[in-house]
Amino acid sequence: MSALAVLSAISRSVRYGFDIMDAIGLPSGTVYPVLGRLERDGYVRSKWEAQTIAQRDKRPPRRYYEITASGARALAESAEHYRTLGARLGIPASRTPTK
Amino acid sequence: MMRDELSRDARAVYDRCMRIVHVARVVVPERRRDDWTREWSGELWYRALLLDRSRGSDRHAVRRLVVRTMGVFPHALWTLTDEMRIDPMLQDLKYAIRGIVKRPAFAALVVATLALGIGANTAMFSIVHSVLLRPLPYERPDALVYMYGGFKQNSQAMVSPPDYLDYRDRNSVFSSLAGRTVYGTAIITGSDEPERVQSSIATANFFSTLGVKPYRGRVFLPEEERGDHAVAILSYGLWQRRYAGDARIIGTTIPIDGRPHTVIGIMPPVLDRTMDVQIWRPIPFGLDEMSVRRFHFLRLVGRLKPGVTIAQAQRHMDAIARDLAAQYPENESWHLNLVPYRDVVIGGVGPVLLVLLGAVGVVLLIACGNVASLLLARASARSGEMAVRTALGAGRSRLVRQLLTESLLLGVTAGIAGLVLGHYLLVAVRAVGDGMLPRLAEVEIDGTVLAFTFGVSLLTSLVFGAAPALHAARSDVAAMMKSLGKASTTRSAVSTRDVLVVVQVALSFVLLIGAGLLVRSLWRLQDVQTGFDPSRLVAASVSLPQTKYKTRDAEVRFWDQVFERVRAIPGVESVAATTLFPLRGGGDTYFYIEGQPPATDADRMNATPAIATEDYFTTMRIPLIAGRVFNAADRSDGAGVMIVSDALARRLFPGASALGKRLVVDFGKPFVGEIVGVVGDVRIYGQANDAPEMMYFTGRQPNAGWGMGFGNLATRARGDPDAIVSQLRAAVRSLDPDVPLSAIQSVESILYDSVAAPRFRTQLLVGFAAVALILAVVGLYGMLAYSVTQRSREMGIRMALGARPTAVFRMVVRQGMMLVVVGIVLGVIGAIAATRLLAAQLFAVTPRDPAVFVVVATALTMAGLAACIVPARRATKADPIAALRLE
Repeated sequence: MSALAVLSAISRSVRYGFDIMDAIGLPSGTVYPVLGRLERDGYVRSKWEAQTIAQRDKRPPRRYYEITASGARALAESAEHYRTLGARLGIPASRTPTK
Repeated sequence: MMRDELSRDARAVYDRCMRIVHVARVVVPERRRDDWTREWSGELWYRALLLDRSRGSDRHAVRRLVVRTMGVFPHALWTLTDEMRIDPMLQDLKYAIRGIVKRPAFAALVVATLALGIGANTAMFSIVHSVLLRPLPYERPDALVYMYGGFKQNSQAMVSPPDYLDYRDRNSVFSSLAGRTVYGTAIITGSDEPERVQSSIATANFFSTLGVKPYRGRVFLPEEERGDHAVAILSYGLWQRRYAGDARIIGTTIPIDGRPHTVIGIMPPVLDRTMDVQIWRPIPFGLDEMSVRRFHFLRLVGRLKPGVTIAQAQRHMDAIARDLAAQYPENESWHLNLVPYRDVVIGGVGPVLLVLLGAVGVVLLIACGNVASLLLARASARSGEMAVRTALGAGRSRLVRQLLTESLLLGVTAGIAGLVLGHYLLVAVRAVGDGMLPRLAEVEIDGTVLAFTFGVSLLTSLVFGAAPALHAARSDVAAMMKSLGKASTTRSAVSTRDVLVVVQVALSFVLLIGAGLLVRSLWRLQDVQTGFDPSRLVAASVSLPQTKYKTRDAEVRFWDQVFERVRAIPGVESVAATTLFPLRGGGDTYFYIEGQPPATDADRMNATPAIATEDYFTTMRIPLIAGRVFNAADRSDGAGVMIVSDALARRLFPGASALGKRLVVDFGKPFVGEIVGVVGDVRIYGQANDAPEMMYFTGRQPNAGWGMGFGNLATRARGDPDAIVSQLRAAVRSLDPDVPLSAIQSVESILYDSVAAPRFRTQLLVGFAAVALILAVVGLYGMLAYSVTQRSREMGIRMALGARPTAVFRMVVRQGMMLVVVGIVLGVIGAIAATRLLAAQLFAVTPRDPAVFVVVATALTMAGLAACIVPARRATKADPIAALRLE
């Protein structure tokens, strides 16, 4: 479930570890292992931000994450799964967890 | 440069957080460490920057950042487990446990089958490890060498004390050379009942040569070898049993053979089986008989100097032997035979144990076959599940890993169960096999055995898990998907299971042949004619204290009185005595035909002498072939008489009568005796050994034999022999309370015990073969039953199309029996190759005994047929309507 939340956040262009925590309200001890797992399984990939940007802000570069094609597909399938599940249980789609 | 852009407060917060990061980073695998640190550093710096921008004094925000930094620990741990692939393994394990809990009966069946195999292997390996592999309980045991005396006719003879001293002083290959007697008894008297125990005399350096330290007290001193020191060392067992483990016994005196001896030491509890002696005394080199080179009664033990091999030592000792032979005529052809000490301790059981270990290994393989077959069947049934998992993105390697984890879990569980089973098997083996295996007391489950069992569990998991895993890896996802919702069976699964059944049948055939050969050999052994009638016969050993019975007359008087009292016991048919009781072993001596003395010492003939009283041959029912037995007229003042066994008579006087011929026999002094009778041969050395050539003497003639100070009472009862035992004991005690009566046993039980060791190994191998047979039959049954279930639709359709039930029945039986026949054919080839290992254990049976092969093949065929019948009958019950409906 947390993996889905993290994936969903990244798909909405929340790209940095701490920003994801802010966005989904999960602690760093959960978010970082999930990021690691998603990256290992090929659902997201990570990159280092350009040196120029970091230099402009006078700080070390940050690592950011972006969703891969298979990540996007898995997210869509899960969303569909939860929608179906929600429909079966009589829960409106907007209240399923991916939304 | 960059970091100066942070305010001092923000910088302090950043540094604080980074200190936490640096603690956690230790856990992170080195390969990922820099990236990992950089990521955290980048984020934390950015957050510190944000703190600055939003007035960094917000303590709440600072605390929040520090708390978030604590996430480095789970993150670092995750990186580590991810690197080691522990995480998915844990997942696999969880999944496997769930699978087992869901199908407890299946898991129980698998675990029980494997535990049986692993347990038997654990027990057998513990025995092999303790008996063969573990070093002897001595210092540098590999340097120890055992030495027999050897001459033309005997390579396992003894060594004379003067020869020992020469070998000891002249050799340069042993750092220490010691000697001891190997047969001998002593009578302990004192407060308790008199007791006859095994005793040995040893050189003072004997214990130091072995590297044995006394448990209490000390060992012999060199000056105690002179013969005027009455000192003794007790075994741990005797000390515990007779003296209640009282340490104060050291320094006190106890009467041994009627003479007070000072106890100077106690031996440690665990020694080897050649050291099964209760009383050790120092060798009295000062006595006259110790300087006679003809008197051989020592065995030697030497410790090789570092770097010297046993072959070098043998050559060196041979050279000394040649020098001695040149110097002393009686030493002609005498030499030493060196063997590793370990071989003497272990005896001939090494190959037997390895055969048995191989047998349990085969049982385990068959068990693995069954489990693999079960798992294959389950894998086929689970192909739907596997298809779903594959469709959801699980790679093949992941599926294989999942299946292997399941087998591993089953294997390790079975390993634990097997360990418990192995422990109890060992308890049973120790109880049953006492005295039949050397070093049995040392057998235990130790670290090595644990490692072995663990290794076997892992290996078996891989063996039985490999087939289903490979099957899963090869399977076609599309085909699996198609079979969703119903159990499917692919061709490859069935043929793998066919192969498993064939291999199981072949392996169990080999084991059954081995067991069959041993059983037949045991029967032959038990059928051997011993040369006398053991029924209702009781044997008892009697030792007369030398201090009390000093002359031959005193001994004879004692025996005559014993006979008188024993004959008076109601229920006694007859009684007699001999110095050499059948099946209890003995020694031999030199002789020659009067007027034909040997030209050289090496030409001397030898035979086994025994004293026998007048009624001995009638009591034992040893047939008289010619002449007469001893009678009261054969006295000390009359001419020397003797009786010879048929084998000796035939060798000495082929085609002529032995009666009236005279032999000169060496009992220290020559004894000249006329042969007055020829009696039947008796197997003195046990059923497996040929009857030796025997010479019998009467105890009444002084120079004949070595006296009757030690003898065996042979009593034939009219009814139950056990009923007269207590009265026999009472009769001897009433005559002289200082004379111990020991080893009272019915001769039938002696005969039974004499084949105890072969019976023990036969029982073990029969047990293993039976387990193998059961497992193989169950495997065949399981395979057929499963196949019938899978093909019920096909059977139904066949029957709907007009096939008769008998045709379906025959089809299934043919399918099963085909595998059995192929298995037996392969088994015959395997057995011919494998049974050669058993050849040395067989008595009067060849390793390719056709009868055994035919019987085993028939039995296995019948068992296979029985396994086919139930599934075949079930196949005939397939419902054609139901089958058609499914189509």
